[in-house]
Amino acid sequence: MFEPEGRFYLRIDWTLMLLIISITGLGLLNLYSTSVSFSAPLFTQQIYWIFLGFSAFFITATIDYRFYDRAANLLYILGIISLVAVLVLGRMFFGSRRWLNIGPLVIQPSELMKIIIILTMAHYVNASPPKNDEGRSLKELAVPAFLVGLPALLILIQPDLGTMMIILLVFFSIMFLLKLRVRSLLTLAASALVLLPLIWTFVLQEYQKSRILVFLDPASDPTGDGWHIRQSMFAIGSGQFFGKGFMAGTQSQYQFLPAQWSDFPFAVWAEEWGFLGAVLLCSLYFVLVAWALRMAVTTRDRFASTICLGVGAMFFWHTIINMGMVMGLLPIVGVTLPLFSHGGSSMLTFMVSAGLLMSVSSRRYQL
Amino acid sequence: MRRLVLSDDSEFGRKYRIAFVFVGVAFLVLIGRLAQLQIVYGAEYRELSRTNFLQKINLEAPRGLILDRHGAVLVKNRVAYNVFITPRFFNAKAFETLQNLIQIPQMDLDYIQSKIMLAEGRKRGFSLLAIRDVPKEWALILESNRDHLPGLDISTQEKRQYPNGPMAAHALGFVGEVNAEDILRQPLADYHDRDWIGKFGLESKMEKSLRGRRGSLWRVRDAKGRIKTGADAMRWLPRPFHVPAQPGYNVVSTIDADIQRAVELVMAPFVSGSAVLMEVDTGKVLAYVSKPAFDPNEVSGRLSSMRAAEIYNNPLYPMLDKVIQGTYFPGSTYKVVSVIAAIEENLVEFEEYHLCKGWYEYGRSSSFRCTHAHGLMNLESAIVSSCNVYFYMLSERVGMDRMARYARLLGFGTPPGLDLNHEKSGFIPTKQWYAQKYQEGFRIGHTLNSGIGQGDVKASILQVAQAYGAIANRGSVMEPQLVERITDYRGATVQEFMPVVKRRLEFKPETWDLLIRALDGVVNNPEGTAYKARDSHLRVAGKTGTAQVRAMRREPGQDPEESRWRNQDHAWFVGFSPVEKPQVVVVVLVEHGGFASKMSVAPAMAILDEYFKITGAQNQVTP
Repeated sequence: MFEPEGRFYLRIDWTLMLLIISITGLGLLNLYSTSVSFSAPLFTQQIYWIFLGFSAFFITATIDYRFYDRAANLLYILGIISLVAVLVLGRMFFGSRRWLNIGPLVIQPSELMKIIIILTMAHYVNASPPKNDEGRSLKELAVPAFLVGLPALLILIQPDLGTMMIILLVFFSIMFLLKLRVRSLLTLAASALVLLPLIWTFVLQEYQKSRILVFLDPASDPTGDGWHIRQSMFAIGSGQFFGKGFMAGTQSQYQFLPAQWSDFPFAVWAEEWGFLGAVLLCSLYFVLVAWALRMAVTTRDRFASTICLGVGAMFFWHTIINMGMVMGLLPIVGVTLPLFSHGGSSMLTFMVSAGLLMSVSSRRYQL
Repeated sequence: MRRLVLSDDSEFGRKYRIAFVFVGVAFLVLIGRLAQLQIVYGAEYRELSRTNFLQKINLEAPRGLILDRHGAVLVKNRVAYNVFITPRFFNAKAFETLQNLIQIPQMDLDYIQSKIMLAEGRKRGFSLLAIRDVPKEWALILESNRDHLPGLDISTQEKRQYPNGPMAAHALGFVGEVNAEDILRQPLADYHDRDWIGKFGLESKMEKSLRGRRGSLWRVRDAKGRIKTGADAMRWLPRPFHVPAQPGYNVVSTIDADIQRAVELVMAPFVSGSAVLMEVDTGKVLAYVSKPAFDPNEVSGRLSSMRAAEIYNNPLYPMLDKVIQGTYFPGSTYKVVSVIAAIEENLVEFEEYHLCKGWYEYGRSSSFRCTHAHGLMNLESAIVSSCNVYFYMLSERVGMDRMARYARLLGFGTPPGLDLNHEKSGFIPTKQWYAQKYQEGFRIGHTLNSGIGQGDVKASILQVAQAYGAIANRGSVMEPQLVERITDYRGATVQEFMPVVKRRLEFKPETWDLLIRALDGVVNNPEGTAYKARDSHLRVAGKTGTAQVRAMRREPGQDPEESRWRNQDHAWFVGFSPVEKPQVVVVVLVEHGGFASKMSVAPAMAILDEYFKITGAQNQVTP
């Protein structure tokens, strides 16, 4: 099918492997705790998705990452088409169009777009190195800004604020880490600041605004969203140091947590396994992100290191936002905890991203 | 050899550290937050999560019944339906449905609305008492429409019921919801909001026995309020998770419902007054009437402020227990005191005669008058005819303080010992008291007035009953008794109250003989003040009395008839029967009844007649 340009000493990155298996395994354990008493087959579903996810992981990892460089443009175009398609043909669920039926498959193009954006950015960075030593100028940032802006806008129309936010955060993260002129850096920071009030006025729906307001003052609505935040904090706090024990979290067992399988599994975990368990899980994510960052500086080319950065940023922001929200540090946004949350799309997205990391990582050594 | 390729020219090389530090700090913030929630505030959150799913249900103990001496129910409980609303779930549509289903008074609707509006924050999740004591039909309608009334609950509550209405109201008393004062007074008694507490009468006196002990039941509920009963839910429950309520004890009172009812009927024609019927040998009270009465069903619980004002501002004081809280001049019923004192202190001969010209010569005053000129009077005939002049003489001879001493021996001036409704002690004046009270000090005139039960002497009708009971049984001052025993809800006796002799009076037999003979004469001698109104079928001894009322000017706008009535004296009669072997003592006081012989003798006779009819006791002692 394709011939790599050079030869690699293929080596499986066991650290990465172990991290992914641990997080996924703990997530499954956590799901078991709260789902056994339910008639819905949440647990078997998740096993099925994990199986699917690992398959995607291995396939992605097996392919030489340089193949993705060449496929980036095509993937980007396909991604945009599917985003447009979802708006036209997509099914409406809970007030937004996010899902597309392709035969028996139901896919969520915005999830795929997260990965495609990383590849697109990597392709761009690789194809156009900074024109001088000072770093990239603003003009050089215009193209990637447009490439990200278009899908972000399409996702916003669905609307899927969480995904759009992640895409923008990943974009800004990569941009900040590029070699930039000081002026470009400042402009980038300023534009991020300008975006915030604009998003507030034009983008956010009323319910989202109220969530943020409630977050700033949970007492203002203790029965609505404020109630959810409080219940989540009760769950985490009541776990204390050693936790209440496996399957013994009263907050989760008696469903005081909202969306406890997709958005709030960390609260369940922290309640049952306490500070010890929560810190363990935090550490796994930290090591994973740090590992991706380290990989970014140790890889051979810009494409590979941008992928590492992008995937690292995605894991990082998902983790921080989800945990911050569950602990009452950030407003409630529907952002999942990577590899830990229950749900197919999320599992697949992170498995493929991890596969990209693995693809890069196992090809760092030259013969 | 494999080798790790470090790309020195990597675009990210320079900012690697910044990114690494940023990521590290972000995770440290998360861990810091975890430490704050789980370690610093962990214990508090643990408690909060406990109260989240553990629910304690109070099991209210049914209040004990109050029974009459034969077990007839005087006070019981009924089920009241209260409507509760949880603002969080009770939406506008439910409110509309509620209005369509039942005819709620506008006042209640406004109340519910304001309650819902005022509920804020966490309180929106608590259920509020919206309408109390709705009719059973409403409760059934609401219950069957539960699906359309989210956030509405109906709970039942025991409510006190007094099936005989105002009968013996002052003895039985009434209940009310506990207030802050009650809770503060008994911090350990575990009173909760909306608990009932006895406020008056036996309900209050026997509160500790009647109340019972609240039980509790712990339950596990999930976020949607569903109750979990499985084994894994049960493990959270504190031990013991179910403490059954202990029903209150029943109080068996000494009141005889049939006699009480008859006495109420006898007293029915009188607007204001009181009557008490007491066993001579035991002090047990068989009937207890104070008029006008209130309806304990009405005053137990919430009373509209208008109705409350009506009751409490009634000039005839329906809330006053006139058996023990009302004190009056005992009038001629008090004359027995100086008789006893004079005989016991050897100050008088039985055959010593004095002339009554219609007034008593003392100083220059002519105010010490008699009803008419009685002529020559001795001790016995003076009692029979109630000659004031003779008693002015006698009390002057006995003296103020000696009279007071004998009065106290008979029970005057101290609480009779029923321990109910803050019973009054009445008042027995002494020389010292006059010396302190009046600038001109004590004068003989005070003694003369005291001798005929006027001036400053005050007594309740129960005190008079107690004193005459002691005369009837020849020397035992009995503690009046309203509670026979306490039983548990199955009827087993928990505590029995035996008659208590408060004081044994060791007087000469001739003292008792003369007194009883004279009191017999009051009723059965044609000269006796009670003779005309006597019931010739009954062997009754007794004494009439008149308590002077301080003349009051007619107030502007006052009905002249009412003004005339208000200026009439109170009429007393105290009697015991049968004379030879007395069983009961009766006291009747008709407020503003005028002369005793006319007003209070007849009802007293009727009461005794009823007593003998109902109990079937013999009132004629065959020699």
